[in-house]
Amino acid sequence: MGNSLRHIYAIATNTFTEAIRQRVLYVLVVFCLVMLGGSSFCTQFDFRGDDFKFMKDLAYAGISVIGLLVALLGAALLIPAELERRTIYMVLCKPVRRFEFIAGKYFGLVALLTLFVVLMAGIFFLALWGHESALTGDILAASKGRPTELQAQMIAEYRAAAYDPALVQALVLLWAKLCLVTVISVFLSTLASSTVFIVCCTLLVYLIGHLQSVAREFWLEGTVAAAWYTRAFLAALALTAPDFQTFNLIDEIIAGNAVLWSNTLPVLGYAVGYAVVALALAALVFEEREL
Amino acid sequence: MIFKKNWKKDWAVCANELSKLYPVDWTQKRLHALDRLDLYVRRGEVFGLLGPNGSGKSTTLKLILGLLNPSSGSVQVFGAEAGTLEARRRIGFLPENAYFPAFLSGREVLRYYGRLVDLAQRKLWKRVEELLELVELTAAAARPLKTYSKGMLQRIGLAQALLNDPDLLLLDEPTAGVDPIGARQIRDLILGLRARGKTVIFSSHLLEQVQEVADRVAILHRGTVIQEGTLEDLLSVREQTQFTVSGLAPVARERLEEWLRGEGAEVLEVTHPRERLEELFIKAVEKRR
Ligand SMILES: Nc1ncnc2c1ncn2[C@@H]1O[C@H](COP(=O)(O)OP(=O)(O)OP(=O)(O)O)[C@@H](O)[C@H]1O
Ligand SMILES: [Mg+2]
Repeated sequence: MGNSLRHIYAIATNTFTEAIRQRVLYVLVVFCLVMLGGSSFCTQFDFRGDDFKFMKDLAYAGISVIGLLVALLGAALLIPAELERRTIYMVLCKPVRRFEFIAGKYFGLVALLTLFVVLMAGIFFLALWGHESALTGDILAASKGRPTELQAQMIAEYRAAAYDPALVQALVLLWAKLCLVTVISVFLSTLASSTVFIVCCTLLVYLIGHLQSVAREFWLEGTVAAAWYTRAFLAALALTAPDFQTFNLIDEIIAGNAVLWSNTLPVLGYAVGYAVVALALAALVFEEREL
Repeated sequence: MIFKKNWKKDWAVCANELSKLYPVDWTQKRLHALDRLDLYVRRGEVFGLLGPNGSGKSTTLKLILGLLNPSSGSVQVFGAEAGTLEARRRIGFLPENAYFPAFLSGREVLRYYGRLVDLAQRKLWKRVEELLELVELTAAAARPLKTYSKGMLQRIGLAQALLNDPDLLLLDEPTAGVDPIGARQIRDLILGLRARGKTVIFSSHLLEQVQEVADRVAILHRGTVIQEGTLEDLLSVREQTQFTVSGLAPVARERLEEWLRGEGAEVLEVTHPRERLEELFIKAVEKRR
């Protein structure tokens, strides 16, 4: 057990280091530019106080897209490459179990994803802070440091919108969602050996995951008369694809609606459960695979 | 089997009727890479696997490691089923055309693999430096592996195979891409390991080198062993004798030949031995070190 954890840790740090050495973090420059652009866009056009909603939307989209790229490509590029270049032989000829390899790869990618999300969140908060201080600074300058009641209220509103503690929940949820995407692409790369195939299938599962609850409804309630194969297909989807719609809480948070940790935690629990099962399945598949 | 009773004591590797079929395409067609191969390697023996390209040498080694599953038959390593952790703990492996994580340095890659063979941190770091010294890569140890030459990669591969101080070393073409001096070092290393009671199985196309180290060889052809035995048995031509003499004058030579004929021997060949190119190379390079 202790050995297993050490192996997983070694493989995970190796995966992480290798990715970092390939200079993937340069992608963050793009995110910086997007956030800067978004912030200056807000200053030029008056959003009537919806500035922060706009910036949050933008950041959410940016983190989603970049995180999705990391999650999709990470496993799809790394695992087939290990198999193809046979670096995997060097690992599996050691007293390392195959599930340790899979878990190590997964946690290395999760570490990478975490770093990305944390750094992007940092950039996002900096951008929010910059924009907030610009807006409140303008007001304070106009009032020569003695804001009227209305102005004070505006400042308070800006600050509340910019520093919404629920944003942390949104980021954690987004991170969990990306970890789920990663687990799917890790699972698929134990089955297939073509990067393009793995990326496409993961994307497909990702999209289907957003329809999962619809599929489940159709299947469970059987209100729609459908041929058996349609029903079987829906059943398969409803049973296997993760339900990404539970992550719609993120949209609520960005819209400024109150979301409690008691709403968030079950979703995180679901993500952890799904990831554990999917990883176990991936390990089972990989155990049988000829190298 | 006669061996069965005692194999736990004497045999490092027992392969019984080992077959391996590779799927070739989507149809039912299969490629018979190994065909009921029997292979027994004693403990403490240096065993050479010879054979033409595609005869199944690499496949055999991978089966011993458990990287592949046999289609039928079985392999035991020190009495344990091949591929089990117990078996892999005692094996060091150098694959053919070894590839490594290109962005790590030589030192980092050895430390990484050392953690996978369960060496404790402090012991591991010491061992890594020793091995870097052994394969003469200390100077290049901090460079990423993508800047290494083929022979340097091969040396790193050898170093990582030795990390766990294995009882059984499997080397797939260990001297491929290595210069003659390096090849000689590898030979000395193998002999040193044998002196410590380790078992070495290696494949090679360089028959001369095989001849220098192997106790026993097996020649594979199309997945079966077509010849096997000690080099003594396979190679010595007992009815012939060879002298190498220096300072022999032509007259003396003629008298010697005459005397030999008088003794009833037939002189088959009298030549000047030529220096082997390998020795010439080693002498020339070693002078400049
Ligand atoms: N992954 C694979 N898929 C299909 N066929 C394979 C695979 N690996 C090896 N083979 C086939 O199995 C046979 C034995 O291959 P193997 O690599 O063991 O030969 P070898 O003796 O090591 O040859 P070489 O001297 O060229 O290294 C060959 O005919 C080869 O084409
Ligand atoms: Mg080979």
